[in-house]
Amino acid sequence: MNNHLRYARHGAVCVLLLAGVLLPASAAAPRFFADDPLKREPDSQNASAVREWDIDLFIDLAVNLFGRPGDPADNARARNVNTIDEVPDSSWFTNRILPGPVTPADVSRGPLVGNGPAPGTWTVVSRKLTGFAPGFTMRDSRGEIWFVSFDADGHPEAATGAIMVANKIFWALGYWQVENFLVSVAPEQIVIAESATFTPPSGRERRMEPRDLDDVFTRSHRGADGRYRAVAARGLPGRTIGGFRYHGTRPDDPNDVVPHEHRRELRALKVFGAWTNLVDMKAGNTLDIVIEENGRSIVRHYLQDVGSTFGTGANGPREYDEGWELLFEPDLARKRLLRLGFFFQPWQTVKYVDNPAIGRFEGDEFDPQSWRPRVATAAFLRARADDNFWAARRVAAFTDDMIRSAVKTGGYSDPSAEALLTDVLIKRRQKIVNAYIPAINPLYEFALSADGALTFRNAAVETGSGQSPASGYRAQWLQFDNTTGQTRPLGPDSSSRDTRLMAPAPLPDANGAFLKLLVSAVEPAPAEWLRPVDVYFTRSAGGWRFIGLERLP
Amino acid sequence: MHWVRLFALQFTIAAVAVPASAQESREATIVAEQAAKLQKVEPYKRHPAEELLLEVRQALIEQPSGFYPYFDSVYSGGGFTLGAGFRQYTGDRAHWNIAGLYSLKGYKLIRADAVAPGLWSGRVDLRSTVGWRDATQVRYHGLGIDSPADLDTAFRMQQTFGGGDATAHLDRWFHLTAGASYEHYSIHDPTGDLTSVQDVFTADAAPGVGIDPSYIHSFASVALDWRRPGADYARSGGLYQVTRHFWKDINGTYSFDRLDSEVVQHFPILRENWVISLRGRLESTLDDNDQVPYFLLPSLGSGSTLRGYDSWRFRDRHGLLFSGEWRWIVSRLAFDMALFYDTGMVAPRFERLARNGFVSNYGIGARFHGPTRTPLRIELAKGSEGVQLVFSASAAF
Repeated sequence: MNNHLRYARHGAVCVLLLAGVLLPASAAAPRFFADDPLKREPDSQNASAVREWDIDLFIDLAVNLFGRPGDPADNARARNVNTIDEVPDSSWFTNRILPGPVTPADVSRGPLVGNGPAPGTWTVVSRKLTGFAPGFTMRDSRGEIWFVSFDADGHPEAATGAIMVANKIFWALGYWQVENFLVSVAPEQIVIAESATFTPPSGRERRMEPRDLDDVFTRSHRGADGRYRAVAARGLPGRTIGGFRYHGTRPDDPNDVVPHEHRRELRALKVFGAWTNLVDMKAGNTLDIVIEENGRSIVRHYLQDVGSTFGTGANGPREYDEGWELLFEPDLARKRLLRLGFFFQPWQTVKYVDNPAIGRFEGDEFDPQSWRPRVATAAFLRARADDNFWAARRVAAFTDDMIRSAVKTGGYSDPSAEALLTDVLIKRRQKIVNAYIPAINPLYEFALSADGALTFRNAAVETGSGQSPASGYRAQWLQFDNTTGQTRPLGPDSSSRDTRLMAPAPLPDANGAFLKLLVSAVEPAPAEWLRPVDVYFTRSAGGWRFIGLERLP
Repeated sequence: MHWVRLFALQFTIAAVAVPASAQESREATIVAEQAAKLQKVEPYKRHPAEELLLEVRQALIEQPSGFYPYFDSVYSGGGFTLGAGFRQYTGDRAHWNIAGLYSLKGYKLIRADAVAPGLWSGRVDLRSTVGWRDATQVRYHGLGIDSPADLDTAFRMQQTFGGGDATAHLDRWFHLTAGASYEHYSIHDPTGDLTSVQDVFTADAAPGVGIDPSYIHSFASVALDWRRPGADYARSGGLYQVTRHFWKDINGTYSFDRLDSEVVQHFPILRENWVISLRGRLESTLDDNDQVPYFLLPSLGSGSTLRGYDSWRFRDRHGLLFSGEWRWIVSRLAFDMALFYDTGMVAPRFERLARNGFVSNYGIGARFHGPTRTPLRIELAKGSEGVQLVFSASAAF
């Protein structure tokens, strides 16, 4: 080959390869795309190859209790939020209570789409495979599969009530939930399927026998009428593949690209967990299911078991320190060790109303910021003020009537139990709001009119967790280059004593123009409110469109 | 062709490595990320350390049938012990089991058990046992609370035993147990440099010295126990238990009856921030005329009785022990500490138990708990004869 031709060819190859590697990096990334803010996070790839995994309880506990799994970076912004700092709908989460509207009736119905188990004979197909509550899996007379769990002996309505109420609350908050029904079971209506098996302590699986069912009923609370109250959870359609971790991604799910510790809806469980006392945030209480959607297999992620809430566990009242301390905290352990136990925490003296159905759940001493699950997840530890604000607004959106509707589904026979749970949830809601909404610049719902009037709302003022700043608000107006990210002042700052600010100068009127506004409170105001929230608008034929918001970088 | 390949390569690089910025929409950006991940999806693989841990746990703890590590005491005073067992299930819960232990001092135990727990809907447990124990250097200081501490006398005891018992759980808290066994004791000179009991003591100071008795040992026990079930430690609840023993010497001379009673009560304070734990134990030979061999007399001194004294330090026909612990819970997960005080008395006659002469010790302990067991208890106890360091694989009480 001619040397010149060879050199020319090699040179071209080098240029092409260099272009392939460098061009995308050097090409300026637009900050906003036309489809921003994204409403739905896509699951674009076929996940049919995902295989079931088993997350070992003790390994999961040890890793989260003694290690720091996930991204080592602190103070990293949630990665699944859209450009307006909201969480798009996804296989993880569905926006329900915000933007709403959700009615008390919606909350009461929750995830239910069908009827409960058909009456008549229920055929047990296997024992209960997970959790501590007594129960089994059965097929009703229509042939549907249900997972049935009972109240522990001596603790009527406690576990089943908590499951029912929490299920409705977490559905309204946006999580995928199973359909739960409160049922009354008579032992006579139960038969055992020929194929049902049981694994006793010997480890040798055998056909299930009546004595195995007797054991379930012996451990369950029997009502005065001889029947057993239980929760029947409808079997989920799809292929079960185990739970999800609160850190990292699932290596065999192509659509799982955001590390779970950086998913805002998982970080938000710090706030939702505190509200409901969801102390048991282990991977074992979650469930991934492969379902068919739009002609492809995708993984849907359920918070399957949110029954570890309020004041009771599967087998009785919570330990006194649950919700107040992690299972192990080196600093507290050291102090207790050296001070012979003379190191007091609020849980040692907090007063609880004695109500066995609700257990140890109270709202007077509750402090959202010091609330702890048994084991903190990586997502819990990564939650920032903007995540907490996002979550607290959802808690705030629960009206008293919504809370009452959710609690009503617990089917408590004692009105005082229902009243207590409602009362505590309302008290804790306000504490959540007070703790997390004013802890960051709380402005939201920005709009910019064609004539340059910027309007917004103050979540803290509206929820009673903060006062309107006496000197009002200030905005810095910048023209924003969506390609380079550069800004240019449009004029002096504008300010106002109310939540309406006028642009200092005529705004660009070309379609595709971008504005960046830095909006903050004016002193005197809480320090967090003086830090501006970055707000972005883009111009289109219809006027200015709200396209971006960032409370924290 | 070469050019075509190069263009294809270039296209592939662009498609896979193109970052978000190359996309024209947010959705396309995410789709590209997901498409890129699709190229490298792989089944989940556990970390090798996790895999190893799970395999070890499965092999040694979780597998119902098979070999397992066995931690227990051969006989008090035997020192650090290691052992292993093999278990085989024959029913849902029924199983047989062979286990062996060997201690630093050469103490040995081999035992075989057949166990059928949870019969009749969990109301009855049955157990039968055969075994052989060799305790090579069991100390003997003579009778009474005033027995000298500085004696280096000991004996070697080889025990063969076989029998069975049944426990009926009449209620969640109320349990009855009865059992009987054949036990043969063969007493020899101790190993090591210790002086044999037979060379120093007469029958007055060491009843039954020189005999190798065989017994039919039967007992009946009633217990009220509302501590945490299934665990060897508790922070609340109590145990109130009385056991009547009948030791029938097959040759007739050394038969005796004994009444053992034990009371344990835990008082949690400030929601188990502290626990005051109290224990009283009485071992009493019932008939003053009965002859009790010196190696079967009630005794005090060990890591679970008078912790500041050697094992088997005090022996006589009656023994009384009180222990009090002030425990503080460092971590609910696994760790608590205790300041403790033990005091006890042995006497030849029951009425002399209450007189002055109690010996006592005090100390501090650290206990590491598992979900149901206490795999490590380390205690430092100071008595009138010095300081003892206790290592144990069980709770104090």
